[in-house]
Amino acid sequence: MYEEPYRWVEAVGNRRQYLDDQLKEGTPVVGVAYERGILLMTMSKGTSKLYEIYDRIALGGMGHPADLEKLRFNLLEMAHVEGFNRSASDVTGSRLVKYGIAPVIKQAFEEVFKAPFIVKIVLAELGQRAGRDGFLTINYDGTFEEKSQCAVLAATPVVEQKMMGYLRQQSIVSLKDAVDVAIRTWAVGDRVQRSALEDGEDHDEAKTGPDQQMTDVETLYAHLRRCVVEKAIECALLDRQVQGPSKYRALEADELRTMLPTDLSPSLT
Amino acid sequence: MKQCERDGQIQRSDALPIGLSTQHLESSTEEQMRMQGDLYQLLKDQGYVFGSSGQAGASQELTTATTILAFKYREGVLVAGDRRATAGNMVMYDRTDKVLEIDRSSVMAIAGVPATAYEMARILEHSFKYYRRTQLQELSFEGKLRALSKLLKDNVAAALAGTGAVAPIFAGYDAGQETAKIYFYDILGAEFEGVEYAVSGSGSSTIRGILHYLNTWGEQPLSAMPEEQATVQALRMLTSAAEFDSATGGVNREAGLYPVIKFITAGGVRMMPDLQLRSLFESSVSRSA
Repeated sequence: MYEEPYRWVEAVGNRRQYLDDQLKEGTPVVGVAYERGILLMTMSKGTSKLYEIYDRIALGGMGHPADLEKLRFNLLEMAHVEGFNRSASDVTGSRLVKYGIAPVIKQAFEEVFKAPFIVKIVLAELGQRAGRDGFLTINYDGTFEEKSQCAVLAATPVVEQKMMGYLRQQSIVSLKDAVDVAIRTWAVGDRVQRSALEDGEDHDEAKTGPDQQMTDVETLYAHLRRCVVEKAIECALLDRQVQGPSKYRALEADELRTMLPTDLSPSLT
Repeated sequence: MKQCERDGQIQRSDALPIGLSTQHLESSTEEQMRMQGDLYQLLKDQGYVFGSSGQAGASQELTTATTILAFKYREGVLVAGDRRATAGNMVMYDRTDKVLEIDRSSVMAIAGVPATAYEMARILEHSFKYYRRTQLQELSFEGKLRALSKLLKDNVAAALAGTGAVAPIFAGYDAGQETAKIYFYDILGAEFEGVEYAVSGSGSSTIRGILHYLNTWGEQPLSAMPEEQATVQALRMLTSAAEFDSATGGVNREAGLYPVIKFITAGGVRMMPDLQLRSLFESSVSRSA
């Protein structure tokens, strides 16, 4: 039935709808660069969504955990085989994405008889010095974008734009700034997504209220306080000051607690 | 069909151009094996060969000989190695680092053919990283010991042919037992625990006796020594080894060359900086005023 070209186009269109639907309740991911490295932040219910890929590369993802695992393993395998056969410096986010998983995701998306990957991925890559940090985001259809300084993942491009708009207005120097901005940006995304869900199917066009109200700091903290009841804040760093070649470390509960407003801390226990 | 058919696209070799063969993805069992996080197996599946027999090289003068030692001191384990690499009577290099950090909590000190030893260290380093990142937990200390043993076993042919013999010391922090430990290996891969100390290399016979003497009849056992005192003993021992073994480098003050000394404690691996080594050497080892 898909032999005719228009049928195939239609099928791919349907699959886009299906994937949007699958991802509509996904948890946003925020990545920001700060003076000493990169922070990745999300909220999770038990299953981690932030991972170490290589010495200077970390992954954040949203979507189906099994799909994310599969792609994570592919990235790890590529990175380590390449790092062993050539050198650690030859393992770059750009090569992993462009010649590694983006074509795989695209092919899965377009092979309409098979299931696509229900994922959105962000790769963070720590530069050799500050200002050289970068991000790559990959959508479920295999399209990727390169960004510097910050990147986000959310259910729809509209939500992502709102989050990026908010993020760009903030100034980030220290890790504490980064954590604070990241959780607020996350709250912006989550609020827009939820109100879109409440407003029904048409979530690209959903009314999200005036932007002012959407980004009011107190409103965002209040939203976060509600979220931490059932989810935990998860933060991972690519920290330039970590000794040795591997720069990845999870931001542990004790350290995170010192950076959050006290009423958000219970989520860590 | 097969369980991994859903990801049939991954099997296309053109989808993964970064030198990655995908034959091992062809059955679900193999895919499950792949999920075990064994990089060494993955490399072998892709045609990587470690440890050649190389019999023709048996008569060559190879870069070998050294002195490495490790002992337990008050806070953990000290591992030290001289910096000379020799081939027969020739000094090849005087700045070799033979105490290699494999990860944040373990080191491998190497004695034997450096080409093989460095390759082993590289495989271990990548394997431990790969395991940690895929399995989301550290490889256990026992797992690390077995990994080295396996490499030595795969290298037996080269070791017996005389072209690739390596007799390393592996020391690391065992998080499970909350203590730092020392193991040494013979060239065939047998693994022995050095309960108090371990030595290897051509200069080791000189210092083995000293270690035994110090530990048994010294003012205090090695394991009670604070870091500085332990370092002084290590410097004295390597200087003694250099006195009797031409293949051990000792200290070269003119060139500012000191042995490599690393400490393994609960906090990880730390190296003693040359400046500190120099001042300890001047004050407690050198006999020239």
